[in-house]
Amino acid sequence: MPHSLIQSIWLLPIYTLVGAALSVIWFPGLTRRTGPRPAGYINAILSLFAFVHASIALSIGWDNPAYDFSVPWLQVANLNLAIPFHIDTTALAACTVITGINFLAQIFAIGYLELDWGWARFFSLLAFFEAGMNFLVLNDSLFFSYMALELLTLGTYLLLGLWFNQPLVVTGARDAFLTKRVGDLFLLMGVVALWPIAGTWNYSELAVWASSAQVDPKAMTLLGLALLAGPMGKCAQFPLHLWLDEAMEGPVPGTILRNSLVVQVGAWVLVKLYPVLALSQTVLNVAIGVGVITAVGGSLIAIAQIDIKRTLSYPTSVVMGCVFIAVGTGNIQAALLLSLSHALGMALMVMSSSAVVWNSVTQDITQLGGLFKRRPISAFSLAIGGLGVIAMPPFGGFWAFLQLLEGLRVEHPVISVVVILVNFLLAFGFSRVFCHVFLGPTNSFTERSPEVHYWMILPMVTVMGFVLHLPLIMGATQLLPTGSEFSLENAIILTWSTLSGLGFAAVAYLSPSVAKPIKLPSSKVQDLFAYDFYTPQLYRNTIIGLVSFTSTVLNSFDRFFIDGLANSFGLATLFSGQSLRYSTSGQSQFYMMTMVIGIIGIVGWLCYPFLNAG
Amino acid sequence: MRLQYFLLTAAALFCIGVYGLVTSRNAVRVLMSIELMLNAVNLNLMAFSNYVDPDQIKGQVFTTFVIAIAAAEAAVGLAIVLAIYRNRDTVDMEKFNLLKW
Repeated sequence: MPHSLIQSIWLLPIYTLVGAALSVIWFPGLTRRTGPRPAGYINAILSLFAFVHASIALSIGWDNPAYDFSVPWLQVANLNLAIPFHIDTTALAACTVITGINFLAQIFAIGYLELDWGWARFFSLLAFFEAGMNFLVLNDSLFFSYMALELLTLGTYLLLGLWFNQPLVVTGARDAFLTKRVGDLFLLMGVVALWPIAGTWNYSELAVWASSAQVDPKAMTLLGLALLAGPMGKCAQFPLHLWLDEAMEGPVPGTILRNSLVVQVGAWVLVKLYPVLALSQTVLNVAIGVGVITAVGGSLIAIAQIDIKRTLSYPTSVVMGCVFIAVGTGNIQAALLLSLSHALGMALMVMSSSAVVWNSVTQDITQLGGLFKRRPISAFSLAIGGLGVIAMPPFGGFWAFLQLLEGLRVEHPVISVVVILVNFLLAFGFSRVFCHVFLGPTNSFTERSPEVHYWMILPMVTVMGFVLHLPLIMGATQLLPTGSEFSLENAIILTWSTLSGLGFAAVAYLSPSVAKPIKLPSSKVQDLFAYDFYTPQLYRNTIIGLVSFTSTVLNSFDRFFIDGLANSFGLATLFSGQSLRYSTSGQSQFYMMTMVIGIIGIVGWLCYPFLNAG
Repeated sequence: MRLQYFLLTAAALFCIGVYGLVTSRNAVRVLMSIELMLNAVNLNLMAFSNYVDPDQIKGQVFTTFVIAIAAAEAAVGLAIVLAIYRNRDTVDMEKFNLLKW
């Protein structure tokens, strides 16, 4: 019998839902006098509680066999929908990361939202998110994962639309909801189509089924593509990536979650579905293709951005693209490691950039500069976070990328080159942001920029500690490859790609011999990357154009044809009444004639048979 | 002399009456046409009474009633025409079209 803390692990989502419910008390409409701050404190405390629970459960359940139990939910006819929970080490570790980063993000938000009145709404949504993510990683059913994904989609919409008086927030929230919704709906098709084929939605049973399944390859390909589309939207992969860019309009602490965690929920489902996806090689190839396009395109776009939040949002797509590559080539361990190192590193980078924005107002990195001396903690946070994401030994990202490269080098030499190139571009992009923001001459925006207060510094330093300790943790848990398991050649190539990326950017953005702002030889190419391959125009000209044209046509068909048909009956009645009243002519002689004609008619009709007979 | 001739004459008289009834512009002539139609009916009644029911001659009794009632009706009709004439100074049927649609 497992420990009672593991048995009660299903309480993790409940804690934060309680926090979300309690936050309601401090809505400005209910608590009018004393301000909304207790909502934040309560949610942070409950998150801490969840974190303590998760981490103790992790230490107890480490390397123990998985504990399965299920909670009945719905039973109709032959369908029995119980919520299965599969508590293994991976799930517990994921819960620990989720609750930990959430707790730190909430502490950060207490500092960041100092001058904001929307705490109750904000913190209740953060808690809602945390509950959804915990539920997602704890349950063991594709169906309930889908439910959690949809809840998170709704949560994204609401959290992004926090400051809804800004027009860009409203359009961004709309796009985030619809784009992710499209992916989720395809996923739903896959989920529904999987039932009659596999007869189960439990990941563990699906894996068993997939190991010996005899299925029509075409059907499996279509099914796999549908299952792939959900994570594609969730992880902001091409071509469903624009929402993450526009999601940067939302409040920053929400961005921490989104960049480091929420996009990972798609990766989680993808990893869990790997046995099913692997039934069709086409699906795996599509996953690899999507990942490659996103990784290369996203890293190029990131280099061309000037908004500090957007220079960090595209790398999220890029790393998720690498996760897609890893899953497509069957390197599950590498995918999970990439997710972990990205979650910690990106959280740190977003926190650091938020801290910069909080005191320097502008988000334009060309307007920032020379902050290193004044704000060393933020600078080190950004640097270490970036190094933690890319392949820089000895940080966590290095081992993730190394493992990915190990898996790719032999079977997929071309893709391994892509991964090395992407790593180079990521390093270049991060180095560029660092040089722009923290080095170089000061700017009018950064002339007097003090370091932020402890509510924001504290979680930042804590995450920095986690990033720095990640290799040690990985070493202690036998996640690091030992000397014989990886080739030194790969490690050196990766390190060189990182170093050259960092170095090139440093030279380009710090050397006075390069004219600023840097212009590419072709301004068209530069604009192409800066405007995100003109994705908004692409959307508007294809899907949005088609849907809006069709809806216009259907609307006018409904208005003119369907409505017109119904209205024409009324109109005909009206018109006939209007015109037939002229039969009441007012001439009594006319009435008499009508009577005579009527009598003649009736008599004629009565006599007709006799006349014929005669 | 046969029944049919009387009936045909009566029918012709009735039709002339109908024609006069719907075409006359003078209100008095309309009343005259009605009288014509009533007389056609009387002719019918008399003919049937003579040829079909010579014993009890119920038709002739009917005729008596019809004549009496026709006289009363003509009196009332003329009174109505007079009443209208007093108000509107005309007996033209085409001017009496106030009660239309």
